[in-house]
Amino acid sequence: MNLSPDEEQEAVAELATSIATEIVSPAAREAEAAGAVPDKVWAQLVESGLTAPIPEELGGGGVPDAVTQLVAVERLAYGDPGITMAAVWSGAAGGLIARHGTPEQTERLRGLASSRDARAAVALFEGFGRGPAELATSVTVDGDSVRVQGRKVGVPFAAIADPLVVVGRDVRDGRLRAVVLASTDDGVGVDEMTRSIALDAAAMGSVTFDVTTTTHALLGGVDADGDALTSSVQHLRLLNAAAQIGLAQRAVEYAADYATTRIAFGTPIAGFQGVSFPLAEALMRLDAARLETKDVADRLDLGAGLGARDVDHAVSYASEVALEATRDSLQTLGGHGFITDHPVEIWYRSAAALAALDFDPTCSAFEPAL
Amino acid sequence: MTYSAQLSKPLVDYARTLREWSTSEARPYARAADTDHRPPANWADVLDTCPVPLGRVDLPEPQALPDFEEGYWVRALVFYESLNYGDIWVHPTLGGGIGHLVVESMGTPEQLEKWYEPVLERGFTTGFALTEPGFGSDTSQVSTTATRDGDNWVINGTKIYCSGGATAEYVVVFATVDKSLGAKGINAFVVPKDAPGFVVAKENEQKLGIRSWVTSELVFDHCVIPVENQLGWTPDGAATPRRSGQGGALGALAHNRPNMSAMCIGLGQASIDVTAGILAGQKAGFTPQRWQAVESELERMNAALERGRRMTFRAQYLVDQGKEDRAVSAAGKGYAPQTVERVIRRCMQLLGPEGTSQDLLLEKWYRDVKIMDIFEGSGQVQRIVVGRTLMGRLVG
Ligand SMILES: Cc1cc2nc3c(=O)[nH]c(=O)nc-3n(C[C@H](O)[C@H](O)[C@H](O)COP(=O)(O)OP(=O)(O)OC[C@H]3O[C@@H](n4cnc5c(N)ncnc54)[C@H](O)[C@@H]3O)c2cc1C
Repeated sequence: MNLSPDEEQEAVAELATSIATEIVSPAAREAEAAGAVPDKVWAQLVESGLTAPIPEELGGGGVPDAVTQLVAVERLAYGDPGITMAAVWSGAAGGLIARHGTPEQTERLRGLASSRDARAAVALFEGFGRGPAELATSVTVDGDSVRVQGRKVGVPFAAIADPLVVVGRDVRDGRLRAVVLASTDDGVGVDEMTRSIALDAAAMGSVTFDVTTTTHALLGGVDADGDALTSSVQHLRLLNAAAQIGLAQRAVEYAADYATTRIAFGTPIAGFQGVSFPLAEALMRLDAARLETKDVADRLDLGAGLGARDVDHAVSYASEVALEATRDSLQTLGGHGFITDHPVEIWYRSAAALAALDFDPTCSAFEPAL
Repeated sequence: MTYSAQLSKPLVDYARTLREWSTSEARPYARAADTDHRPPANWADVLDTCPVPLGRVDLPEPQALPDFEEGYWVRALVFYESLNYGDIWVHPTLGGGIGHLVVESMGTPEQLEKWYEPVLERGFTTGFALTEPGFGSDTSQVSTTATRDGDNWVINGTKIYCSGGATAEYVVVFATVDKSLGAKGINAFVVPKDAPGFVVAKENEQKLGIRSWVTSELVFDHCVIPVENQLGWTPDGAATPRRSGQGGALGALAHNRPNMSAMCIGLGQASIDVTAGILAGQKAGFTPQRWQAVESELERMNAALERGRRMTFRAQYLVDQGKEDRAVSAAGKGYAPQTVERVIRRCMQLLGPEGTSQDLLLEKWYRDVKIMDIFEGSGQVQRIVVGRTLMGRLVG
C-alpha cells in the first residue's frame, strides 16, 4: 500500500491548481456567457499538457498514469468545471486515438495536439443508464465498409467536433468499437443546439448517427482490441467523477470560508453545527469518493482486480456526493448563495449537469431528505 | 367527524382546472420569463384565459378566490401548488408581496383601513424589507435606523433582497429606533414608494432562479415619513397592536411559510409528471431491471411529495381552525423543500443530459426551487423553531 502521491502526481497537482486558480477560475463567467472557452485560456490549457494524454512523440505533453490524470482533472475542475471539461473532453478524443489508433490515425494527432482551434470529442453516452458493455450504437463491418448507427447524448462540441470518436458495439461479436468521424460527416445528424443548466463551454448536444464509411475509420483497425478500448472508456467516465469531486471540494471550501466570516446570533455561523456538520459530512464523503475513484482507476490501469460494476458505482457515488455538497454549500451562504455575485450557484448547476450525463438508476436510489 | 385528510370535491375540481390551465397556458412562457427576467409582456392576456378565478389584482373589479369548506389557508396551499405547477412566473403578477401581512398583524384599525384593506380590495404589490447586507436569519441585527424628527420619522439604511421592492406601492421597513434596546428597539414602518429619500438602488438581482421575480436593493437616504406610518402607532402615541416589532414581522410570515412548500411541491409534481411522460415513450431503451428501478423511483418520489403535502395541510388546517402553532408551521415549511430539490434533480438524471438541457424546464425548476429552503426562514431556522418544542429556547 502506498497512499502518498508520487513526485509526478505532486507536480501535476501543483501545476493544475495554479492554472485552475489563476487562469481557469477567473474566466468561468465569461466562458459560460459565450458558450465557449476564451481562446487564451484554451491555449494555456492545451499548452499545459494536462488535458490531453498524448505522447510527446506525437506532439503532446506525455501520458501520465491513470491516477495522475484524475488528479489533474480534479484540480482543474476546482477552478471551473465548464472550462475544464470542455478541454478534457476534447483532449480525451486525442487520448483515445493516441492509445488505440493505427499509425495512420495517430499521425493525424500531430496537428491536433498543437492546434489551438481544433475541437475534438468522444461520443459515448446514450442515457438509459447504459454502460460501455450495453451501448446500443452499432458498428457493422462488412468487407471494407463500416456502418455506424445510433444516438448519442451529451456529446461535447456536437456541431463542430473533428475528430468525433463514436463508441459503439460490433454487431457481430459485441466487442466495443470506436469509429473516427467528424461532426460534419454525411450521416451525422446534430440536434438543434440548446443551452444547458451548466457546462455550456463544452457546447454539448445530441447526435444521431447513420454513417457509412470505410474500415480506415475504425479506431485501431479491424482487429482492434475491444477490451483495451473498454478500459479507456471506463477511464473517461472516471474523469467526470474527478471533475465532480474537484468542483464540490471548491464549493465546500468556499462555503466554509464564508461561514467563518458571516456573523449571525453573535457568532460566525461556522459555530453552528447546522452549518458545519453538512460541510464536514461533505468533506468526508468527498474523501471517500476520491479514494474510490483513484483506487478504481488504478485497478483499471493494472487491468486486474476490478469488479464488473466498480466504475458504475464510483461514478454514481461521486455525483451523489457532489450534488449534496454543492447544495449544502449554497445553503450555507443563505440568500447570498442564490445570487450570482457568488460562484457557488455555478457549482450547484455544474454538479447537476455532470450527474445527468452518466447515470444508472440501479446504482443509487432516490431518498427524501426527511 | 372522523379523521379524514381528503379535500372536498369542489376544491379538488378547482385545483385540477387551475393546474390544467397553468400547464397549457402559463407554462409556454416559462422559458422566456427566465431568460428575460420578467413575466411575458402579455401576462394579463394570459391570465384572461384562466377559466377559474385567480384572485387577480389588476382588474377594475376585484376578483376574489372562491371559498371552500376547507378554509382560507388550506385553499391557499392548493392554489399555490396548482398555480406553480405550470410555472413560477405567474405568482408575482397576482400581486404577491407580504408587506401587508405585517400591517394586518401589527396595524391599528386606522392603519388596516389605509394599508391592508386596499390590498384586499384593489390588490397591489407590497414589499417586506427586513434583510440587510449584514444579516438575514438573525433579525435582531437590524441596523437601519428610524430617528424621530417632530411629526416625522427619518429612515436611514440599506435593505437587500426585497421581493417586489422596486414595484411595490409601499414597503414595510424594519428599522431600529434605539440600538441599545436590541430586538425591542425594532419597529415596522410603512414607506410609500414616493416617500422622499426612498431609492431603488438595484431593481433586480442576478439570481440562480426565480429570475422573473423582482428582488430589489433599497436604500433609505434620510427618507421622511409621517409618525403615523409606524405600525401600531397613532399620531397620539402607541396603540395596542396585536403584535409588535421583530415578533410581528415573524408572526406575519409564519402563516405564509407553508405556502412556500406548496410552491415547491407544485414544481416537484410538475417535474415528476413531465419526466414520467417522456420516460413512458422511452421504455424500450431501458433494460427490464432499469425500467423497474425507474418505475419505483417515480413511485417513491410521488410518495415523498404526498408526505410534504400532508405536512403543509396539517399546518394550515390548524391556522384555519384558529389553532395556529408556530412549530407546526415551521415543520410545514421546512419539511418539503430539500426533498423537492432531490426530486427535480433525480428527474433530470433519469432523463439524462437532455433532462438538464434548456429544451425542458426541469433545469429551470431545479434553479427556481433552491430559494424555497432559504427565504421566509431557511431550513435550518425552521429546524431551530421545531427543535424548541422539544428542548426549549437555549440560544438565538
Ligand atoms: C430571491 C430572494 C428573495 C428574498 N425576499 C426577501 C424579502 O422580500 N424581504 C426580506 O426581508 N428578505 C428577503 N430575502 C432574504 C432572505 O429572507 C434571507 O436571505 C434569509 O433570511 C437568509 O438570510 P441570509 O441570506 O442573510 O443568510 P444568513 O442568515 O447569513 O445565514 C447563512 C446560513 O447560516 C444558517 N444559519 C444561520 N443561523 C443559524 C443557526 N443558528 N443555526 C444553524 N444555521 C444557521 C442559515 O440557515 C444559512 O444557511 C430574500 C432573499 C432572496 C434570495
